[in-house]
Amino acid sequence: MKSTKRSQHLISLTILAFIAGMAVLVVKLRNESPKYMMYAEEHSLGNVYDRNGDILFDGSGENAFPDGYLTDVGNLIGDDEGQMSNTLVAKNIDLLNNYSFNDGLVEKNGEAAIYTTLDHKANRTVYDIYGGHDGCAVAYNYKTGEILLCTSIPNLDVTKGYDDLASFPNGTLISKPMFRTVPGSTQKVSTLISALEIMGADKLFSKSFNCSGVYYNLSGKEIDCHNIYGHGTQNVQQALENSCNPWFAQLIEDSDMPLSKVKKEYTKLGYALNGADDTYIDIDGIECETASTTLNDPTEFATQWGCIGQGDTLVSPIQLMMWQSAIANGTGKMTMPHLISRVTSVKGKDSYTAETEFSDSLFSTDTAATMKQMLLTNGADHYNSILGYNVGIKSGTAQVDNGDKENSLLVGFVDDSSFPIAFCVVLEDRNSTPLTSEQIAKTLLDALKADN
Amino acid sequence: MTENPISYFFSCIFVTVAHLAMLANIWVNGKYDSPSDVLLLGGAVILLDFVWYIAMLFFKQKTFALSFLLILILNMSVIFQSCFGGVELDKKHYITCIAALIASRLGYHLCRDHKRLASHKLWIYAGIGVLTVAILTLTGSRSIWISLGPITIQPSEFIKPLFALACATTVGEQMKKHKLLMFNVVWDNLIVLGIFFAICFLQWWCRDLGSLPTFAGIYAAGFLLRICYPRAKFSKKTLIAAAAAVIAAAAVALKFAPAYVQDRLHSDIWSDVNGNGWQQSRALIGIAKGSWMGRGPGMGDLHSVFAHENDIVFATVSEEWGLLYALMMILVILIILAVPLINPPRSYFHATMVSCICAAITVQTALNIFGSCNLIPFTGVTIPFISTGGSSMMTSGFMVGMLMASQNPDLRPPKAERKRPVPIRSEMQ
Amino acid sequence: MEKYNMLLCAIAAAALDICAFVLIMTAYAEKRTSRKNWAKMTGGMVLAVNETLYPLSCDEVIIGRHASADVRLPDPSVSRYHAILTFSGNAWTITDMDSKSGVYVNGMLVKHAVLRNGDVLSVGSSRLIFRRGEEHD
Repeated sequence: MKSTKRSQHLISLTILAFIAGMAVLVVKLRNESPKYMMYAEEHSLGNVYDRNGDILFDGSGENAFPDGYLTDVGNLIGDDEGQMSNTLVAKNIDLLNNYSFNDGLVEKNGEAAIYTTLDHKANRTVYDIYGGHDGCAVAYNYKTGEILLCTSIPNLDVTKGYDDLASFPNGTLISKPMFRTVPGSTQKVSTLISALEIMGADKLFSKSFNCSGVYYNLSGKEIDCHNIYGHGTQNVQQALENSCNPWFAQLIEDSDMPLSKVKKEYTKLGYALNGADDTYIDIDGIECETASTTLNDPTEFATQWGCIGQGDTLVSPIQLMMWQSAIANGTGKMTMPHLISRVTSVKGKDSYTAETEFSDSLFSTDTAATMKQMLLTNGADHYNSILGYNVGIKSGTAQVDNGDKENSLLVGFVDDSSFPIAFCVVLEDRNSTPLTSEQIAKTLLDALKADN
Repeated sequence: MTENPISYFFSCIFVTVAHLAMLANIWVNGKYDSPSDVLLLGGAVILLDFVWYIAMLFFKQKTFALSFLLILILNMSVIFQSCFGGVELDKKHYITCIAALIASRLGYHLCRDHKRLASHKLWIYAGIGVLTVAILTLTGSRSIWISLGPITIQPSEFIKPLFALACATTVGEQMKKHKLLMFNVVWDNLIVLGIFFAICFLQWWCRDLGSLPTFAGIYAAGFLLRICYPRAKFSKKTLIAAAAAVIAAAAVALKFAPAYVQDRLHSDIWSDVNGNGWQQSRALIGIAKGSWMGRGPGMGDLHSVFAHENDIVFATVSEEWGLLYALMMILVILIILAVPLINPPRSYFHATMVSCICAAITVQTALNIFGSCNLIPFTGVTIPFISTGGSSMMTSGFMVGMLMASQNPDLRPPKAERKRPVPIRSEMQ
Repeated sequence: MEKYNMLLCAIAAAALDICAFVLIMTAYAEKRTSRKNWAKMTGGMVLAVNETLYPLSCDEVIIGRHASADVRLPDPSVSRYHAILTFSGNAWTITDMDSKSGVYVNGMLVKHAVLRNGDVLSVGSSRLIFRRGEEHD
């Protein structure tokens, strides 16, 4: 009767809830078991390949490589030793596991593998051009988001192990494009994007400020120009090409450029302002830093210096490169970079295939178009003949170690729909080497073009 | 004698076949030193099967499905437990399984006549009281075990069926309301609530908070059916208020739970695989190694992990027999609980009792499996019928006996009244 | 070896599945048995209200207007919980649950009465016949 029916309903409900829990459990076990197996005594790993089938990480340990063959990708691809935690292998090790719940552990001839977007040959060429001098370079296809090249010096050969860890130079174990550095004048791109968003192209192009080599700002502090004789009166395009610090200091002080709006635009670009929590870009599990700076008062030296690219400002090379993509593809949306193009399961079936993703809109398409034209003009006036490509570009010189050293940076993009490359090159301590960032950029583009 | 000889015959055959198929699997795939180990195990299992089938013919009951399910799952568990780390008959577990079968007869006979149970509820309360006092005085240093020479017993297990009975007795008492201050109360409800609080205290005292959800499950099932009882006249508002109170109490309990409980609630087992996460991470790795079809009886590695035969038994079975088989083992337990759905109890007392038992067994199974697989905090309770432990096995057997009783109610009047003629009209108004 | 392993695991699992199925069938077969047994024990009585038959398949049957009553009579003259039929001591008994309009057995107002086959119960304006059923639940 009804009363006993109620108890039956309660029993059914209890059993159903339990079955639902069991279903969750089974799905969880099935999906997470490769991760569990990484903690088992026995496991077998697959390989990581570059876009042409070159091995970048040898999971089986059966292959022999020429000495230093993998040095250009050491701290990016990493290994399963646990010394480096922010590498492709460390973050995706369960994908390399030759195990699946359905097939069990496959000790021999498992086909689990990660196919990356990297071009090992080009990467190697760029690594070699540095000749052991510190720096880093990164480039990606701004239409698809594939990272083609990402190298960092100093670097390591993971097949050699970590026995002489103590003798590794500083920065060996980190892939520098993922970490923030002083951007120097490449920061002016962000400031100009903000200015375009705030006042529009017409008003910005109508502004002209004078540079006499040094500018005393409204709080009486000195803003030096690298040209001690001054650039005279310039418009925005001239100021960009001259990379004129006094002009930008005056722009920040301008009444059409309220700091509250600058802050808003910077935040949209991804800066962590005034000590806000850092944000990260996720590149297939690898944490990549973004940007940070301090903006307090438009007349203050630190704030102006921050907008020029010194002071507290720090930006990762990958972030600089991604802003270039938002300009180059004309949408104001960054192409999100990825390193893994596909993953195969233990049976050799594709278990993951990368898709191109874009960020939210950082700025309007009008701003993107104007900025693109400004950078292309800069490229045409100063760089196309050197590099041999039609590029939009911005250079930067960053003072580090309290001004003892200068890093040279070059960010830009190739304006060619069949060769859509955005890149960022960092050459550390430029005064101690005859190498220039332009040379590196040319090598980078030539190497990618050769393999294109 | 059974009234369904065909069902009886086929049930006998197929239960035996299910056990034989397991034994065949051991014979071919298992890890054993000598074939005599397998033969001994097989002999013991089949012998127990047949003794039970024959004994069943002498049971004066109308339904046997539960008896068959009980012998099926118990002998399965004998086979599982005998295979961990190499085949050898687990004699201790075999004996506890026989004890569980006997306990089921006890449960059956004690619980058939619900009127008698309801009128003897003081005995139930007294039983719980005696067990409580035993725990408080005899366990020594705030533990759950009482040592009696070679055996240790866990009295808190025996409280579970008694508490289910206590919850069921309240249902019939909803008319007897008394005025207390400004509330109309039913004494029995208050007594059961008091017992529940006493059990909570007891569990806290003997540091066995893991069993608390089982008691809470029993109480919740009893409470829900009591307030849904037509004569209880519970409003929806009261129901919502009660639910809110339960949630608030759970939140407070979580906030002020002892440190060792907090630890278990917040630990990431994978960051501590050699410390607190050892058992669970080993269990999960074991399941992963076993995959669907298992590594073969006796071939697993989990037998070297502490509590492999009770707290993480689901993983141990999964590793050796495969997740598929482990899931089916759970299915058999669920079928035991589902039999009252097919063949319903005939009184509200039995219906409530059955729901309480269903809640107890489901909650306990869920706590064990989900806990050992890191879905919820690890509590270290047993899976009924499968985990080793005499007290737990006997309690499980007793509970199945109670389920059987609910299908074979005894409504005969007490012997003294039986010969009295049925009165014709009485108490005319 | 690998093949045998899979095969025997599959056989063991299948045997257990078939066994579970057979036992469920047994439970269904026994449903009939215990229904008969209940009928034998309690006389297999039904309450007939007009054309509808309410078998008494539980030892407490509540008659009333409320949705949770076992025999529901949607009639304003019937109390929400009007009367209860209980089985004990070999007989069915009807008890008035403090209803407003009372319970009549064969026309007599009663508080509590043992019922016999063929008795006519009046609850509010409804007439219920307490009688032996056919083969039924």
